[in-house]
Amino acid sequence: MKALMSVAALIGVVGILLLAAMTVGIIPSNTVRLLEGYMPVQLVLELILFVAGFTGISYMMAAMGMAFPRFWQGILMWAFVLLYLKFRVYPPIPFSVRAMYGAVSLVAVFMWVSANEEDWKKFKQPIMNVLDAKTGGIRILRYAYLIILPLLIGGFSYNAMVPKSEEPIELRTVHPAPPASTKVHGKTYTLQTSQNPYRINLEGKYDQDYSNAMTVEQGMGRLMKPNANPWDKDAQGYLKYVREGGEIFYQNCHFCHGDNLNGRGLHAFAFNPIPANFTDPGTIAQLQETFIFWRVAKGGIGLPNEAGPWASVMPPWEQHLTVDEIWKVVLFEYWHTGYYPRTWD
Amino acid sequence: MKNSFSLKAGALLTTAFGIILVSGSTGGLTFAQGTLPAGFKTGALAPEPSADMIEAGKRVYFTKCVWCHGVDGAGDGPGADRLWPRPRNFNQGTFKIRHTASGELPLFDAKKPTPGQNDLFETVTHGLPGSAMPSWEGILTEEQRLQVLSFVTTQLVKDRKFTDKQSESQTVLQLGDLTPIAPTEESLKKGAELVIEKKCVECHGADGRGDGNAFNLKDDWGFSIQPANWHKCWNFRGSRQDPYNVKNIFRTFSTGVNGTPMPSFADNSTVEERWHIANWVNFLCEREADGKPLAIDPSADKPKINFVVSSGLAVGEISADPEHESWKNRARRYVAMGGQITHKPRNFVNRIDDIWVKSLYNDTHIAFMFQWDDRTKSVAEGKLPWAPTSVNVDIKEQEPKTGEEGSIASHQNNYTVYNDAIAMETAVKWKELPSPIKPRYLFGSNEQFPVDIVKWEADGSLRAFKGTGWDKDFEERLNYEENIKILYSEWKNGRWTVIVQRPMGDKKEQEYDEDTFFERGQYIPTVFFAWDGHNGDAGRKMAVSAFYYTFLEPPTPREAYIYPVVIAFGVVLLEGWVLTRRSNKRKGKAL
Repeated sequence: MKALMSVAALIGVVGILLLAAMTVGIIPSNTVRLLEGYMPVQLVLELILFVAGFTGISYMMAAMGMAFPRFWQGILMWAFVLLYLKFRVYPPIPFSVRAMYGAVSLVAVFMWVSANEEDWKKFKQPIMNVLDAKTGGIRILRYAYLIILPLLIGGFSYNAMVPKSEEPIELRTVHPAPPASTKVHGKTYTLQTSQNPYRINLEGKYDQDYSNAMTVEQGMGRLMKPNANPWDKDAQGYLKYVREGGEIFYQNCHFCHGDNLNGRGLHAFAFNPIPANFTDPGTIAQLQETFIFWRVAKGGIGLPNEAGPWASVMPPWEQHLTVDEIWKVVLFEYWHTGYYPRTWD
Repeated sequence: MKNSFSLKAGALLTTAFGIILVSGSTGGLTFAQGTLPAGFKTGALAPEPSADMIEAGKRVYFTKCVWCHGVDGAGDGPGADRLWPRPRNFNQGTFKIRHTASGELPLFDAKKPTPGQNDLFETVTHGLPGSAMPSWEGILTEEQRLQVLSFVTTQLVKDRKFTDKQSESQTVLQLGDLTPIAPTEESLKKGAELVIEKKCVECHGADGRGDGNAFNLKDDWGFSIQPANWHKCWNFRGSRQDPYNVKNIFRTFSTGVNGTPMPSFADNSTVEERWHIANWVNFLCEREADGKPLAIDPSADKPKINFVVSSGLAVGEISADPEHESWKNRARRYVAMGGQITHKPRNFVNRIDDIWVKSLYNDTHIAFMFQWDDRTKSVAEGKLPWAPTSVNVDIKEQEPKTGEEGSIASHQNNYTVYNDAIAMETAVKWKELPSPIKPRYLFGSNEQFPVDIVKWEADGSLRAFKGTGWDKDFEERLNYEENIKILYSEWKNGRWTVIVQRPMGDKKEQEYDEDTFFERGQYIPTVFFAWDGHNGDAGRKMAVSAFYYTFLEPPTPREAYIYPVVIAFGVVLLEGWVLTRRSNKRKGKAL
């Protein structure tokens, strides 16, 4: 038990030091990186590690005869969660969301300290001590509280009432409901039944299993399968079209969506909403290929009314590309990210 | 058994050879002491990467790199012709960011990603900010980055050989051993004098905005190239995602930038002089008002963006002097600019990538001060071939596949010159727009939700338009133009400063259907546009910002002073009640 707890304590200490150093900037803030796509899982894991660490620290301190009052444990735990949300999570989450998480964790901490009568007593003991003020030191503390509390609360309310200019929060529908059909260059495409004409096998038949077997490998780097190089001179069919789609992508799309299709192109930093990150499992991996075709062809200006704010700079690609080129780009995007388009069934 | 023996023999041989080599090179060192530039030491060439590494690297290259750098690494991939700077041509083995002396190959060791010992690895890891080369950290593993470099340095560098001891040498800047000199006032003063003495300013300009007499410079391949703007250190290719680190500047200054007109200054400046210059160049980079570096967004390697441009209340007339207290005390806002890539003609290379905006308002007017870096002052010669209201002007878009000759990088210095210009677009009926309150992005939605556009041009004109769609010509607002005013406009040492004043708008007096009503305490959707005349910018070929918000800071309401006092008093009463209750309870217990 003791060994286990000391390991946990070690994790806790190292974790806190690492986090503090990264926040203050003593060591680079990307020492422990948040990986795209895995971030929520990673954060939950980190928090679990920290809770284990704190348990360990508290156990070790008790064992060393320096028991930490339950009252401060509760407060520190809550403060930690707040700071973690503010400084660790990137990109930053808006205050309103943080406030919600803060309230939830406050309730959780409260439930923890009041789990049974004895704990609850332990928790409120320091408060009672201050109220009773039996010794001189605590009496001074009580007067200090008496003066500081109204000042603090008054200050907070003043701060809340002074006019400020914070960015208004914008909500947007990321994947608006698609229309039943879309008309591009004079031809109507029914989204339910249309297929990418280039997702074909060597016999020239639409074949998703064939193409899925040829996309890049998932896992770090997302590299091409060794025997499926679109730049192979003899590449035929699907792979050849992937290359052609890639050529179009790097002549048109990478400026915003980035060289690695992660939404971090040259111009991306200037725009809001930021360009879609295709390597994120929440974008093209969630959608049918015809949906992408529709969004690419119509762009930001072609978004339906419910998909405001219409601030997207996504071009309506029907103005720049042929239908064939659009299909090839879509093909390439799936190939390069290693995702399979979602099917209707 | 046999294997291990041959391995040992090999090791022995290499060691023996190494001893000879080292003794040879130390001999050379004493001999060549006078010729070795200060701060440099002779290094050894790295061993050839293993065949496995090269083969694995090929797979990385053909998944990630080939699209810009091309099948043969000649920097002619499908994406190349629309990029400026153009992707690197690896064939000649010319690399910009190095710790090695001018003209030498960069450091690369496939086995050892030691900081300061692996230039190419750092380039792939951190990317080259200000160009299309992204940071591959977090995308490719360290191993994969070393693999792809093994492939590039052995297969795609064709005119030189990284392991050829006959033709290659490594004279390495010992950056780890050199301690920077603190950027004291004295050091900065010396640096400021040295950049003139060493003629840095001839290309980089008197204020270091890259506006010296260097507009027609070419790199080794004949592509247009321009001197760095010292005020945007986050765009330095060698900034290694750490733009305010003076060591990066020291390194570039010491080793030069191979393939470009930027020479190495190692031979004609002492180490101390180089630190002074690096301090000065670093000092010039844009900072907060208190001198602290700007916060950099790690996902973009550009300054962090806040989308609210707040306008402060001015007393009386708004000053026309940018040096006036009221302007100097205003906080400025960084507005990021991207190329207009939504509609034809798309602007793949926007030379204006940010503007700084300040704003002041009084009872009747609101003024905006725009400051942006532009290496050239551009005023069109003669009359423009289109009306000021034209939106669909005849400007050609860069073709996707032109070959080197026709590529965007080849003709950056010979566009037809139009006017430098800046414009701001604000939503007209922003209160009526369904939430969130924005019209269609480019030049408004339609007649029902138009935008109010005020545009300044370098020929001294200031015009007001109504926009009703991205492809609709503007409508002029003639009677409105009498009310708008250029308070100030000047191009100096590579920077424009323009102050434009316009009416606040008022629901009763102004034509509400055309003009934006700037209401205090409200968020008014605002977009900024900028044109660089020497980039051939006109019409929709321009730089654009995202939607920002103009926010007129309202004066503090009286309630903000009253309520907190009342609340604090309430808390005091509450405290008294709790304490009395507690002490009564205790007394009860004691009794």
